[in-house]
Amino acid sequence: MKRIALAFGVCVAALAHAAPIEVRDALGRTVVLPAPPQRLVTIFASNTELVAALGLVDRIVGVEEYTRFPQEAAAKPKVGGRLGFSVDAVVAQRPDLVIVTPARQAAHQLVDPMERLGVPVIVLLSRSVGEVLDNIRLIGRATGVSERGDALAQSLQVRLDRVAQQVAGRPAPRIVMVTGRVGNGMLLVARSDTYTGEAMVLAGGRFAIAGRGAVAQVSPEAILASNPDVLLFAGTQAALDDLVQLPGWRDMRAVREQRAVTVSRSEFLIPGPRTIDGIESLARWLHPVKASP
Amino acid sequence: MNRRSTRAWLIATAVLVAALLLAACAGHEWSSPCAIVRALAGDDSLRSRLLLQWRLPRVFAAALVGALLGLSGAVFQGVFRNPLAEPYLLGASGGAALGATVALLVPLGVPQAYVLPVLAFAGAWGATALVLGVSRVAGALDAAGMLLAGVAIAAMLGALRSFLMLALSDETVSLQVVMSWVLGGIQTPSWPGLGLLAALCVACLLATSRIAHGLDLLGLGTRAAQGFGLDVARFTPRAVVVGSLVVAAAVAYGGLVAFVGLAAPHIARWMVGPLHRGLLPASALTGAIVVTVADAIARSALPPAEIPLGLVTAVAGGPFFIVLLARRLRS
Repeated sequence: MKRIALAFGVCVAALAHAAPIEVRDALGRTVVLPAPPQRLVTIFASNTELVAALGLVDRIVGVEEYTRFPQEAAAKPKVGGRLGFSVDAVVAQRPDLVIVTPARQAAHQLVDPMERLGVPVIVLLSRSVGEVLDNIRLIGRATGVSERGDALAQSLQVRLDRVAQQVAGRPAPRIVMVTGRVGNGMLLVARSDTYTGEAMVLAGGRFAIAGRGAVAQVSPEAILASNPDVLLFAGTQAALDDLVQLPGWRDMRAVREQRAVTVSRSEFLIPGPRTIDGIESLARWLHPVKASP
Repeated sequence: MNRRSTRAWLIATAVLVAALLLAACAGHEWSSPCAIVRALAGDDSLRSRLLLQWRLPRVFAAALVGALLGLSGAVFQGVFRNPLAEPYLLGASGGAALGATVALLVPLGVPQAYVLPVLAFAGAWGATALVLGVSRVAGALDAAGMLLAGVAIAAMLGALRSFLMLALSDETVSLQVVMSWVLGGIQTPSWPGLGLLAALCVACLLATSRIAHGLDLLGLGTRAAQGFGLDVARFTPRAVVVGSLVVAAAVAYGGLVAFVGLAAPHIARWMVGPLHRGLLPASALTGAIVVTVADAIARSALPPAEIPLGLVTAVAGGPFFIVLLARRLRS
């Protein structure tokens, strides 16, 4: 009986592998994979985590220098980093699929050469939490583990729905989430058109700074003027302590009421499955469930 | 052509061939000449495809970009009669960088591989045309007037580019890609694209040969040149237009590569003397050698990263040029 089942499984697998896989990526490119790829080069932490979440970390043969998670992926051969990405280094790993995001110089440096060399490249964008879930499904389909991808995306959606129920009808505090400091004294903040900003809203917050200027950087004065109920800082506690030393910030409501806290950079700035963890923990902090009397 | 300059030409040509071979072998992983022969013979492994479709076009593109930079440097030094003149003198770099910034940061819905060189070329050429236009309106079409107009236009373009970089970059679109382009880097063309670049290079050599005699006369000084029948008021802007077209072509394929346009004409002058008929092609040959070697270093020095080409040409080229200069002055 076991043998018959095994033979059936092999036949199904063979049939599944017989047809080439076709997916459309974030740039609208049609990517054709003759068979489920077994050697993946994943550029950027978000794409590496996504592949790892699908249980395919063994198939990863190359990553970039800033890959920290999961640990077994961080130990893989490096194909680039701060100074860009090497076509030579990618090709040296003989990949049958390269997954990139158009950040830093990755798409600019890799898509054209890989297309020219006949190595399939999938470009992913993560502009919203929904897009992150779509990426999980897409990579699941591209790597021949569609069911796994769909199941993972579905389970994350269930968790998001639970958070939505939890925060429904609760007053949303006005929040500023600072994601970085720029050398000229300006601050980077999570904006409404990014998945980071969306994650903050899904956790039951709203933007203290309305609208979006032409420039991504915001002056500390504008943040002070918006006087948020909550100040979130994606970084270390020491950096947050340093930030609230800015002139006048001690009088900000969020700081006065001790609602200035750090959030995890890996949960809010790496668009992957861990973002859902971040949304859940932020929602719990913003809207604590009252103990039953 | 005397015997000394013939020997110099032969040596320089041999050095270029050696540099091309070295560059073809250099990369993140060193490839043997046998591997290159195998790739040329039609081997279909991924490694061979990399060499044939990616590395070789890049090596030749580097040589051609270097040739264009050397050529334009010689033209600009001739026009301005100044050994410190370089191809980016009249705003070509600022204009090209602005064009590239738009191509890299604004989603135009056209493949970047096409739009980047086109906009860089348009920017470089447009900026120079603007400088010439402003000089004409101001009635200062002499060298000093053009230089001052160039400084003003370059400052405006630089500010505009900085604003675009601030306004259009975010977590997903990085400034690094613009920074990297501004610091120079050869775009790897397809083989047809390389053919176009080679044709451009030949056209530029022909166009500059037409102004070689005029540049020689201009070197004697404005009054002497006019005495020999050169209409300096018309020739100067015409020569600038030719030089700017050459540098715009170089920028479109190679970004902003520092120092080559300044140094190559001097090395060529020591090789073949000051007459532009020989100096222009010699300067192109020198530029080709320098950029081919520098690009090989950029690709192989810090694997798997690639150092921007302009940094290599400046860091390696500076001391090299100083040594050559010192030896020259001592002899």
